Parts: sequence; C-alpha cells; structure tokens
Amino acid sequence: MSDTLERLATAVVEGNVDSMEELAQEALDEGLSAQEILNDGLMGGMNHVGKEFKAGNMFVPEVLRSAKAMKEAMKLLEPMLAAGEAQATGKILLGTVKGDLHDIGKNLVGMMCEGAGFDVRDLGTDVEPDQFLSAIKEFEPDIVGMSALLTTTMRAMGDTIKAIEEAGLRDQVKVMIGGAPVTQRFADDIGADGYAANAASASDLAKEFVGAA
Amino acid sequence: MQVKKTNYTVNATPTFEVLTEEEIEAIYFSALRVLYETGVRVYEEEGVEIAHSGGAIVEDTTDDSSLVKIPPWMVDKALATLPRKVVVVGPDREHRMELYKNQIYFGAGSDTPFTWDPYTGERRRATYEDVKNFAKIAQAMPNMDFHMSLGIVQDVNVGTYDRWQYLAMLEGTTKPINITAVDLDGLQDQLEMAYVRVGGKEEFEKGPIFSLYIEPVSPLSHSEEVIQKLLFATDNGIPFVYTPCPLAGATAPCTLAGTAVQALTESLFGIVLSQLRKPGAPMIIGGLMSNMDMRTTVYCYGSPEMALLSAAYTQITKWLGVPMYETAGCSDAKMFDEQAVLEATFNATTAALTGGNMIHDVGYLEQGLTSSMEMMVATNEIVDRVKRILRGIPVTDETKALDVIEDVGPGGHYLEHDHTYTRFKDLIWQGPLTDRQNWENWDLAGRKTFRDRVHARVLEILETETEPLIDEDMYKELRQICELADERHKGEELDFDMFV
Ligand code: B12
Repeated sequence: MSDTLERLATAVVEGNVDSMEELAQEALDEGLSAQEILNDGLMGGMNHVGKEFKAGNMFVPEVLRSAKAMKEAMKLLEPMLAAGEAQATGKILLGTVKGDLHDIGKNLVGMMCEGAGFDVRDLGTDVEPDQFLSAIKEFEPDIVGMSALLTTTMRAMGDTIKAIEEAGLRDQVKVMIGGAPVTQRFADDIGADGYAANAASASDLAKEFVGAA
Repeated sequence: MQVKKTNYTVNATPTFEVLTEEEIEAIYFSALRVLYETGVRVYEEEGVEIAHSGGAIVEDTTDDSSLVKIPPWMVDKALATLPRKVVVVGPDREHRMELYKNQIYFGAGSDTPFTWDPYTGERRRATYEDVKNFAKIAQAMPNMDFHMSLGIVQDVNVGTYDRWQYLAMLEGTTKPINITAVDLDGLQDQLEMAYVRVGGKEEFEKGPIFSLYIEPVSPLSHSEEVIQKLLFATDNGIPFVYTPCPLAGATAPCTLAGTAVQALTESLFGIVLSQLRKPGAPMIIGGLMSNMDMRTTVYCYGSPEMALLSAAYTQITKWLGVPMYETAGCSDAKMFDEQAVLEATFNATTAALTGGNMIHDVGYLEQGLTSSMEMMVATNEIVDRVKRILRGIPVTDETKALDVIEDVGPGGHYLEHDHTYTRFKDLIWQGPLTDRQNWENWDLAGRKTFRDRVHARVLEILETETEPLIDEDMYKELRQICELADERHKGEELDFDMFV
C-alpha cells in the first residue's frame, strides 16, 4: 500500500477530521484514483475501527469520529467517483415505531451504518406504518430498520411489516429490528429478516443483507 | 475547669456531599439560563398555552410542537408555591412516606420486560403472578417503604398492562405505590381503582395512595403523553415524579455537571407547568441519571457516575426544597451475582448517605430490563446496614461511658455489665442473612453462601400463607375496571410465546 493510503487509513482510525481533505488531495496528486483511495485507504481504516471496537479497544465516540473523518474525505472524492463507484454500500431507512419515543439506540444504529458506508434516512420517532410506506416508495431503501423499546410498541413493528406486505413492497426490502426488549425469536415470529442486539451488529447485519459483509 | 459543654447532638448522621453550596447555585442558575435561552420543546398544545399565558416565550411552532422559553422569574414564582413536603400513604394508612429533606425511603423499580423465575432459575418474560409475588416480597421487607411493578405484565392485552400491574400490586402489598401508566386512559382507570381501594375520591385526596411516574424526554423535550399526564395528575391531586433519564455522553453532556444542569432544566419546566396549572400541586423531581457505557452503548444502572449524579442531584433538590426521586439497589449485572450486590451496596449507600427521599429501582438487574426477587431481599439487608451507619456515633456523656470504664477498670470486661445488657441490641447490628458463624458451624450448616440464604428467604416468603389484602367484592370491582379496559383494547392480545 502507498504511504499516503496508509496515512489516510491511520487518519481515519485516529479520527483526524481536519487533515482528511488535505491527505485525500495528496493521494490524488500522487495519481491514485478516487476509487483506490476509498477502498484501500478510507475503508481500510474503517474496517480496522470496526475490529478494534468489537475487541473493546475503541469506544463509541471514537468510532463516530472516525466515520466523520471518512465523510470529510468523501466530500472531495464523491464527485470524482464514477456513477457506479460512488454508490453507497446500500440504503437504509430507519425509524422508531409508532407510540415509541426512545431514540438514542436507533440514532446509534444509524450512525454506525453510515460509518459502514450506508446512506441512511432517519424518520425519527413515533413513526406510523404509513410514513414508513411512503418513505420506502420515495427513498427506495435496501433495508428498513425499526426500533422499539416498549412491549406496547413492539407490536407496531409487526403492524408495519404487515403494511409493507400489503403495499406489495415486502420483496423490495430487508427488514431488521432491534431495541432492548426485542429478541431474535420475536423477529422471527413477526417475519422480520433479522435482529441485532446492538449498533455494531446492526451494521454487520445490514452489510450481510446487501452482500457487503 | 472547662464549663463549655456540648449538650446537643451535632451532625449525628454521617452525610455524603459531592457539591459545595456554590456549585449547587452554579448548576441551578445555569439551568435557569438554559430554560430561558435554549428553551425546551413541548409537544402538547395545552401545555404550551399554559406556559405562554404564564409568561413564557413561545417560538418556532411547528405542526407538532413549540419551543418554550421560561424566564427565571417564572421559576421563582413556581418554587414559591411548590410544596416542600409530599406525602404518599398506603391504603392501610399505616405505611406512609413523608418526602422532604433527609427522609429516606427505599422501594422497587418498575416495568422490566424480563424477570428471573425463582423456581426454575430462568430469565423469562414477566407475568401478572410475578408482579403480585414481587409485591408480596416488598410487603415482607421492612426496609422497602414503597413499591413499583417489578415486571411488565405480558400475559394480558398489550395496552392495558398498567391496570393489571396495579391490581397485582394491590393484591400483594399495602405500602404506598408509585404507578406507571401506558397513557391517559390507563391513568384514569388506575385512579378509579385507587378510589375503589380506599373508599372514594375524598379519601384519596386526604392521602393519595399512589404517586405517578412521569419522564420527560432528554434532551429538553416534553412529549404529548408526558404533558397530558402531568396536567391530569395536577388536576386530580396525584403527586407525581417528574424524572428525566439523561444519559451522560449520549442524551446529555458527558460532563456530569452538564448532565445535572440539563436534567434540572427538564425538571424545572415540569415544576413551572404544574404550579401554573395548580399552585400547590405536589411533585417529586429526580433522579434517574447515568452515563452511557461507551463500549456496549447500554444505559448504566450500576456505575459510579450514576451514584455521583444522584448524590449531586439530591443535594440540589434539598437546596431547592423539592422532594427527590433517587435511584439505587440496581445493577448492570445479568443475574444476582457478586457484581449485583457490589453495585447495589454502592449506590444504596450513597443514596442513603446523601439523603435522597424516594429511592427507587431496588430489584433491577440488567439495566432495568430484568427484575430479581433475590436482588430485592439482598438490598433490604444492605439498606439495613446503611441505616446502622446513618445512626452514627452519638457522642454524649452517656455514650462516652466514662463511669462504666471506671467501673470495669483495667483488665475487666463488659459482657456482664448492665450498660452492655441494655444497649447491645440497638447498637450492634445483626442481619438475618449475614453469616458470621465460625468455620465449623458454617460447614455443618451446609456451607450456605449469601446467595443461597437470600434465595431460601425468597422462597420462604413466597410460600408463607398470608391473609388476602383485599376482600372478594373489592377484588371483583377492581378486576372489572381492568377487564373493561381489555374490552376497549380487544385484538391487542399478545401471543405470549412469541415473546420468549
Ligand atoms: C432512556 C430511557 C427512556 C428515555 C428515552 C429518551 C430518549 N431520548 O431516547 C425516556 C425517559 C423518554 C423514556 C420513556 C419511557 N420509557 Co424508557 N427507558 C430508557 C432506558 C433507561 C434506556 C434506553 C436507552 O437509551 N438505552 C441506550 C440505547 C443506546 O440502547 P438501546 O435503545 O437498547 O439500543 C441499542 C440496541 O437495542 C440496538 N437497537 C436499538 N434500536 C435498534 C433498531 C434496529 C433496526 C437494530 C437492528 C438494533 C437496534 O442497538 C442500539 C445501540 O447499541 C430503558 C432501560 C434500558 N435498559 O433499556 C428504559 C425502558 C426502555 N423504558 C421503559 C418504559 C416503560 C418507558 C415509559 C413507558 C415509562 C412511562 N411509563 O412513562 C416511557 C415511554 C415513552 C414513549 N412513549 O416512548 C421500559 C420498557 C419496558 C417495556 N418493555 O415495555 C424500560 C426497559 C425501563 C423500565 N424497566 O421501565 N425512557
């Protein structure tokens, strides 16, 4: 790997938001393509971050800072990537279901997935099945992620899946669910495609869904 | 000869303080600034209207909410009418909490999706029977002063679990209860039930037999359901807890002082709104403040930061003269193990030493997701020890016992002395579950650990026959309110197995 790519990867790991644009420019000046910089430099750094986080050596704010650093470099690279290459890992539509106001877990899932290169649209909290439906039609996500922290609102996840089915959109999306009282068993029973117990495994699951794992 | 004599007891109770008065003031006046300059978001029109006509500035109104800014004078005005003491009683009128200053009362937490089954030793979804059994345990624990539903009742219709929880608790305990409500409808039903239990509205008003748990949404938001509950409670003489649950580093600043400022801002808005609606409306502010664990993202229920924040907030509420809702007796451990006891000891001790009034969440494991009877029984004993420490070492002529020392003299002993005989029971703490046997006897008795003894005590309480606390007719009447609610929520039954 070129020295500059290595420095870029390190800058991502260290979350050096301020030096990213300059480093990316250097790499371009050396004749590296935007695609190479993204794959070998930035993503290399993010993969390392993911591993360190799982091993317990990096912490949430550090992971988020790394993701921010990567985004900084992407500002410069994005316009240079060919249409196909520029594509995000995939698109994720997120929301806390109807009646539920717990949002920080869902926000974390969103941020982690962004860090993994996903384009994330967050509908916020207390999201009605209908709002999910119109957002699916408009945003065309690969994955719909629903969060619920209450026994009373867990059923709204089932209702939303039904609504997606009835609207004939179920084949177009993978559904993943989560939130403290949610379990794999519950996910299976309401016909979700997957469940994850925390934000890091949510982003792994999302990658699996789009074949990027 | 020195004539100056200390003939009164000074600071007989050991106390724990983490803030100076200057620091408390700095936090309070900063909260006033946030309330006025940053403002809070209110998602309920009536609430916005009340604040507005009381003098608040309303900005940035969207289709679901407004930004409300409260000038400091409104807070002063509200604090002037806010009761400094709040009383909640049990339906028997014997159990009673007088919440003010250093009065400490311990009690359960509420609404855990899971519970540890004391018989199978498995963690599973909570049911009606569990909630009733937890109330029975609380009833038997002398250091549990109030109760909450240690489990979400999940074997009934989804939207009505709150009424069933209340009924299950009324079946098991006559201690004051802190209820939760699914929504306004659930609150109304439970108030109706309380009227039945206590013999009418007037009786309830004389001494409310429950308080209501309400939580604003950190950061700085007050949802529709929260404001509706606040207004209903205020209108109906229901004391309520208004406790934000900020997570330092995630939904509040990572610095604990910043978290305290934000939480206080959130509580102060509740105080202002309630006093505008009805001057003199009783409330308790708190108290569920902690940090996010930055590895696992969980809300920590056993961290030192939680204990510190609770202690700081308790000092702030005392300075303000508002009863405090504290958090202790809880843990992040998954099961009742060494970590569980360690964390409960730590937070219960800090809570008691700072003098938080209504100290809740006894019985919580796994960050409030699982309840444990063992945890409650163990915490009862922890609290008993702490209460011994709180009694301190009074230093008087009588306790210095110079005459007794003189009497016994060098080389004698005190075992037979009257002075020992008349006092040792009060002064030397004994806990029913604490082992102090020598090796041989412990060995002979089957080498029981603390965990074994606590577990045995749990089973003993569950298996002890007790007189029903409510008679047949009253039970029917109460149950009918729950069933009528179920009627209104038809089709919302949960397939219980789906949840395993
Ligand atoms: C903070 C908190 C609140 C705050 C939320 C503020 C906010 N901005 O979010 C406030 C105070 C508003 C609140 C309110 C209530 N709460 Co609350 N709350 C909590 C608490 C203490 C922590 C939740 C949290 O933030 N955890 C930290 C985050 C990061 O973790 P997380 O949400 O679990 O998310 C992680 C994973 O679950 C997963 N994940 C989450 N979403 C998703 C989505 C997908 C797609 C995937 C794959 C993964 C995933 O990844 C996340 C990151 O790692 C929990 C207790 C607990 N231990 O969970 C109770 C808890 C969830 N609340 C509870 C209750 C009962 C309530 C109330 C009903 C109380 C009441 N009677 O008024 C209200 C309901 C309000 C409403 N309509 O939603 C109960 C739920 C019981 C149940 N199963 O029904 C709990 C368990 C506490 C308890 N024992 O009482 N609460």
